[in-house]
Amino acid sequence: MNDIADRLIDCFQTVFPEIPAAEIPNATQASVAAWDSAATITLLNVIEDEFEVQLDLDLLPELTSFGSVHEHLCQQMQS
Amino acid sequence: MSDNSEDSSAALQRYNRGGLRVTEALKILQQVPKDAARYQVALACAFTPLHLQTFLAACLQRSHPGRRVVVTPGLYGDTAGTLESLKETAVQAVAVALEWADLDPRLGYRATGKWGPSVLADILSGSRHMLDRIAASLERLPSEVPVAISLPTLALPPLFHTPGWQMVEAEVALRQNLFEFASCVARRRGSSLVNWDRLAQESPPGSRFDLKSELLTGLPYTVPHAAAVASALARLLAPPLPKKGIISDLDDTLWGGIAGEIGSHHVGWDLAGRNHLHGLYQRLLAAFAEEGVLLGVASKNDPSVVRQVFERQDLYLASSSIFPMDVSWNAKSAAVGRILRTWNISGDAVVFVDDSPMELAEVSAAHPDVECLLFPKDDYAACGALLDRLRDLFGKPRISSEDAIRLESIRRSSELQQTSHDGSSLEAFLQQAGAAVTFDFSEGDPRVLELVNKTNQFSLNGTRYTEGEWGRRLAGVSALLAAVSYRDKFGPLGKIAVMQGWQEGGTLRIETWVMSCRAFSRRIEHQCLKMLFERYHARELFLDFRPTPRNGPMRDFLAAISGSRPDGPFTLTRAEFEKNCPALYHSVCEAQFNLSPTP
Repeated sequence: MNDIADRLIDCFQTVFPEIPAAEIPNATQASVAAWDSAATITLLNVIEDEFEVQLDLDLLPELTSFGSVHEHLCQQMQS
Repeated sequence: MSDNSEDSSAALQRYNRGGLRVTEALKILQQVPKDAARYQVALACAFTPLHLQTFLAACLQRSHPGRRVVVTPGLYGDTAGTLESLKETAVQAVAVALEWADLDPRLGYRATGKWGPSVLADILSGSRHMLDRIAASLERLPSEVPVAISLPTLALPPLFHTPGWQMVEAEVALRQNLFEFASCVARRRGSSLVNWDRLAQESPPGSRFDLKSELLTGLPYTVPHAAAVASALARLLAPPLPKKGIISDLDDTLWGGIAGEIGSHHVGWDLAGRNHLHGLYQRLLAAFAEEGVLLGVASKNDPSVVRQVFERQDLYLASSSIFPMDVSWNAKSAAVGRILRTWNISGDAVVFVDDSPMELAEVSAAHPDVECLLFPKDDYAACGALLDRLRDLFGKPRISSEDAIRLESIRRSSELQQTSHDGSSLEAFLQQAGAAVTFDFSEGDPRVLELVNKTNQFSLNGTRYTEGEWGRRLAGVSALLAAVSYRDKFGPLGKIAVMQGWQEGGTLRIETWVMSCRAFSRRIEHQCLKMLFERYHARELFLDFRPTPRNGPMRDFLAAISGSRPDGPFTLTRAEFEKNCPALYHSVCEAQFNLSPTP
C-alpha cells in the first residue's frame, strides 16, 4: 500500500467511520450503505483537505469505489 | 479538476483562509459519545444542505460539549413547509438559511421558469406571499425554541432588464419585502438574524456562489461560505456569554496625552486635536455603562489630576459611570485584583485595556483569565477593530432592568463591606438597612433563565439549560420556581436569585439555585431557605449540590448552614437550618408564587 492509498484510507474513515480500515480498499458504493451521492461529495472535500487538490464535481458519477477514487487521485497528483 | 489553474489556486487560497474545514467538522462530530443526550436542531433551507449541515452541527457541537448535536434538514425546495411541519417538542433550536430561490424558484438557477419583464410582477407577488408564509410558520413555533435566520446571502440571478451594476425598481421592491419580513421576525422572542455586514467581512460576497455545485449537487454555496453561514447561525443559537466588566487605563487610552505632564485641560479626545480615537472609545464605554457593563479604571496617575480631568464637562463618559477608580502609582495588576474583588466576578468575565504592552503583560501574568487588549492609539484601523472586538465581547441580545442598576448595587455593596470593616457592626447595619425580599413566580421573565445560565459562584451545581429544557422543568405538576428580588434603603438590586425544583411530600427537591454575587453579605440566601421551609411546610430540603471549579461560595454557605462541608447532593433538615441560621432582618413579601398541588 502506498502513501497515497494510506492517506486515502484515512479520508474514507473520516467519512465512513463504521467501515473497518482493512475493508476500505475493497469498498464500493454498492457495498457501503452510507455511501450515497451526498457522501461522495463529502468524501471529495475531505480528500481536497488532505491532499490540497481540487477535485472536479464532474467526477462524481465515476467515483464509485475506493479503487476508482484512488486511480483518479493518483492521476491528479501526477499531472 | 478545474480547467483554470489560476482559479484553482485562488480558490484554494480562499479555502485555506476559511474557518472550519469539512474534515475538521466531521472529526468534531465523530468524537461525541454515542450515548450523549441529543440536541435536536432543524435546518430549514430550500437547497441541498450538504456541508452547511455538517458545519452547523460541528459549530453547535463545540458549544454543547456534553450533548450530541443532531441537525436535521427539511424538504428540498420547501423551507416554509419544513417550518410548518416542525412539531412543538421535536426540536430544541431552528436554523433557517434563506436564499432568493426560497421565495420563488425563478429567483434561483436550478428552476427552468421564465425570466423577463413579463413575469416580474408575478415573482414579486409570489415572493411576498412566501415570506408571509414563512413568517407565520416562525410565529407558530414555541417561543422557547430559539430560531436563527440567515437572509439571502447570494446575488440575484440576471433576470432584470438592467445591467448588473444598476438596481432596478423590481429588485428594490423585492428587497423591501425581505426587510419587512426581517423586521417582523426580529420581533419574535427567541428569533435572531445573521448580520449581513459581519457575514460580508467573513465571507466576501464575490466568493460565496458556486454555480457548478448549485447545478450538479443542489448546494449553491462554496465550502468556505457554507462554513461562514453555519458559523453565523450557530453563534446566534449558542451565543458566547457576554463579558461583564471592562477595566481601562486613562492616559493615552481613555484620553489622548499624559494628564500629569500636559495638564488636565490639554488631554483630548476630539478631531481637532487628532485624538478622536479616544473619543470613540469613550463613547463606546458610555454606551456600555448604559447597558449595564461594569466600568473600572486602573491607572498609574496622580488622583488629583485624574479628578480634574473628570471634572471637565466635555467628557463623553461620566465619572459616576466608573466604579471603582483605582488610581495610584502601584502595579496595575494589584489594581485589577482590587477591582475584581470589588466587583466580585472572576477574571474571565473581564477585559483590561491599556496602550502599554508592558502593562498588559504585567496584568496578564498576574491575571491570566483577564482578556488584555492593546489600545492602539496611533493605528486607526486597529482601533476600529478594537471597538468592534469590544462590542462583540460585551454584546447581548437584550438589556434587562437589572443591567441599569448593576453598577449602583455594586457600589452599595462595597459601601456595606466598608461599613463593617470600619468597625460598625454588620449586624447593626443589616438591622437598619430596611431590606425587603420579594419572592415571585416569574416563568415568563427571560431574566430568570439568563441568571441561571450566567451565575457561577453562588450556584448549586452550575447546570446550564436551554429555554426548552427550562420550560420542561417548570411543566411538572409539583414544580416550583421562585425568582427573588431585593431592595434596601440604598436602592434596588433587582432580580438576584432563582430557585427551581419540585415537592415530594415533606421534601422539597431543589435542582437549581443561583444568586447573583451582587447580593452577597445580606443573608438573602438564608431568607430563601427560610421561605422554602415555611411556605411549603417542608421537613427537609434535598439540595442537588455538585461542586464545580467556581461554586466555592455556595459550598461555603452550605457548609455553614448544614454544619458539614458537602461533597455532593445532600439533605438539609429544618432543625439543622434553624440551628445555624443567623438573625434575619428583611421584610418578606410574596408577589406571586406558583406551586401546583401534588396530585
